[in-house]
Amino acid sequence: MNTQMIVDSVLVLVILLDLAMLAVSRLATCIRLFALQSLLLALLPLAATTGRGEIPGLHEITVAAGALGLKVILLPRILLRIIRTGEIHQEIEPFIGFTASVLVGAGLVIGSFAVTRGLPLPVDRISDFLPPVSAATILVGLLILISRVKAVTQVVGFLVMENGIYLFGLLLLEQTPLLVELGILLDLFVGVFIMAIVVYHIRREFDHMDTHLLDTLKEA
Amino acid sequence: MPNLLLLIHVPLAFALLCLGLPFSWLRLASLAAGAVVHLGVVAWTWWVPSVGGTGAYLGLDPLGHLFLTLISVLFAATSVYFVGYHQKRLVSQRVFLACVLVLLAALSLVCLSRQIGLLWVAMEAASLAATPLIYFRLGPRALEATWKFVLMNSVGIALALLGIFCIAVSAGASEGGAVSLTVSDLIAGAARLDPVWLRAGFLLALVGFGTKMGLAPLHSWKPDAYGEAPPPVAALLAGGMTLGAFTGILRVYQICNAAGLAAFAGFWLMVFGLLSLAVAAVFIVGHNDYRRILAYTSVEHMGIMAVGIGLGASGSYATMLHALHNTLNKGVLFFLAGFVWRTYHSTRIRDVAGMLHRFPAAGVVLLAGLCATCALPPFGMFFSELGVLLAAAEQSRWWVVGVFTFTLAVVFVGVMTAMLPMVFGDPPVAAAGEAVGPRWRRTAMLAPAGVLALLALALGTYQPRAVTEALAAAAACVSAPGASERVAVQDPVEVLP
Repeated sequence: MNTQMIVDSVLVLVILLDLAMLAVSRLATCIRLFALQSLLLALLPLAATTGRGEIPGLHEITVAAGALGLKVILLPRILLRIIRTGEIHQEIEPFIGFTASVLVGAGLVIGSFAVTRGLPLPVDRISDFLPPVSAATILVGLLILISRVKAVTQVVGFLVMENGIYLFGLLLLEQTPLLVELGILLDLFVGVFIMAIVVYHIRREFDHMDTHLLDTLKEA
Repeated sequence: MPNLLLLIHVPLAFALLCLGLPFSWLRLASLAAGAVVHLGVVAWTWWVPSVGGTGAYLGLDPLGHLFLTLISVLFAATSVYFVGYHQKRLVSQRVFLACVLVLLAALSLVCLSRQIGLLWVAMEAASLAATPLIYFRLGPRALEATWKFVLMNSVGIALALLGIFCIAVSAGASEGGAVSLTVSDLIAGAARLDPVWLRAGFLLALVGFGTKMGLAPLHSWKPDAYGEAPPPVAALLAGGMTLGAFTGILRVYQICNAAGLAAFAGFWLMVFGLLSLAVAAVFIVGHNDYRRILAYTSVEHMGIMAVGIGLGASGSYATMLHALHNTLNKGVLFFLAGFVWRTYHSTRIRDVAGMLHRFPAAGVVLLAGLCATCALPPFGMFFSELGVLLAAAEQSRWWVVGVFTFTLAVVFVGVMTAMLPMVFGDPPVAAAGEAVGPRWRRTAMLAPAGVLALLALALGTYQPRAVTEALAAAAACVSAPGASERVAVQDPVEVLP
């Protein structure tokens, strides 16, 4: 089994995890699935470089370590902690039901493969699957973001979307400066941290995390 | 030759001071000092003609220089205003003041960055610094506004990042190896960029930065955030942060322009711009909350700027003029909104009628601000909106002329019928709940508003040659064809300290 096959199967796993996140109703499971997806994505650049017979450079190692520390360990811990202290475990009555959202998600995956097939991809890539998988992950993240009620799940949706963008960024790993990528990771961390604080306040203010109560501000 | 890093380090240093100082008045003084010193450094960069850059990442081109100056003036005025606005019961004043200064540093970095990845990082930092400012009043309404702001802006900025990646892919087509994401390099190599990916990148960046700027249909967080945030914060967002987001769009537009995609980019800018104008016109009419009306006028003015840039070279000077007056005007109006809020504790227009009787000075400044925002002649927005209109007519884009004129007329009627009673109407009989506060407080709130209104009036009636030149240079920087633009941009970058 050569590296190309490993990378491709990892990407297929990423898509399966997307669909799994659409299917589960337990918030903690959803967050763990996200952590697993992030773990696969964090190891991907290392696998790709070692597969080419090179030793991973400082750049790859830093990005992988940053993603690992942040998206696999730190952010899931923060989110799980919010759930545990809030005693809320289930996503109740999403705007789009679980079965329906898996079907929509499958449609999005097929659509991403169909659309990105036609795009010319000028840069060197580690796998042909990278653009469609990245597009599918971004779209599934958006779907979670708009179809779920709990604030925590919406945060997970945003993070899944960010995973898709990170995956697309792997196309350009050698071309973007390290400084910018570290900045991106830092901004992501602070952003989710602030979101977590807001979620915490929502819970304290309304006694739960449903965002559909956040609808007082509208046009009279 | 001033070091450009000073523009970022100075506010950050004073932000640390705000966190550390023991007394409230010392912290307020530190905020004002930080903003004023920043303005001083900006003035220094104008005084010394050749401006130093730090490598390929930082540099001042005419566009960044203009926006940086506007942002700095607005922050200096707001910091003085805040001394009067501040009240003891604010929860954590340390964090609030530090966040204001971090916002200033981040927006300065947006204006200074010559690399679109760095620009993205700075823009995201700016919106993260703004989030605690919006939630400052606490309570469910502020919380809802904050959640909408955080979520919409995070998604928007993520899409902008995707757009930047697409541009990097389009550059990778030609160069193979390392891709430089500096604006000047991208413009220099624009002819070799892959057009499909560049188009995708422009659209994603337009949607992403457009969310931050508040272009319709991505504006829905804006009335909530501007309505619930403390008014001085709303002034910073409407006059400062929108400029930062607009810088992001303009940088990508510069690249598209150099790659020969100006028509494509201009079309989409005009679509978003006209849609914003239409949305503002629909929602302003019949509104009863003055801060939300002001938020919709901000949507309207962002729309005008997008349309102006979309019209190409002939509209871009008017756009820069509009950006200048928009910043001054949003400062005046939101400062006054804060004054009204502090005095009457109500956001409904009918509770606050008759300002001219109770506070003549505030009434006059408010009237001036309203006339300016509706683009009545002595004020600069009249000339900028006329400029956009003429540019559209010159290119025979009659549908743009039609929609533009009609929506502006509706907005004019909507704003004036809603808000003139605040100035002229009869004061409410039961004027209970008014806590006027000491005189120095009122002066500290009204003086910055008055200064900005006078500045707007003065620049509208007589525009000094230096201002015209700065605006024209910024406009040329955005919409001139690649070659001449490249020289203008690279000059400051190459003069290294």
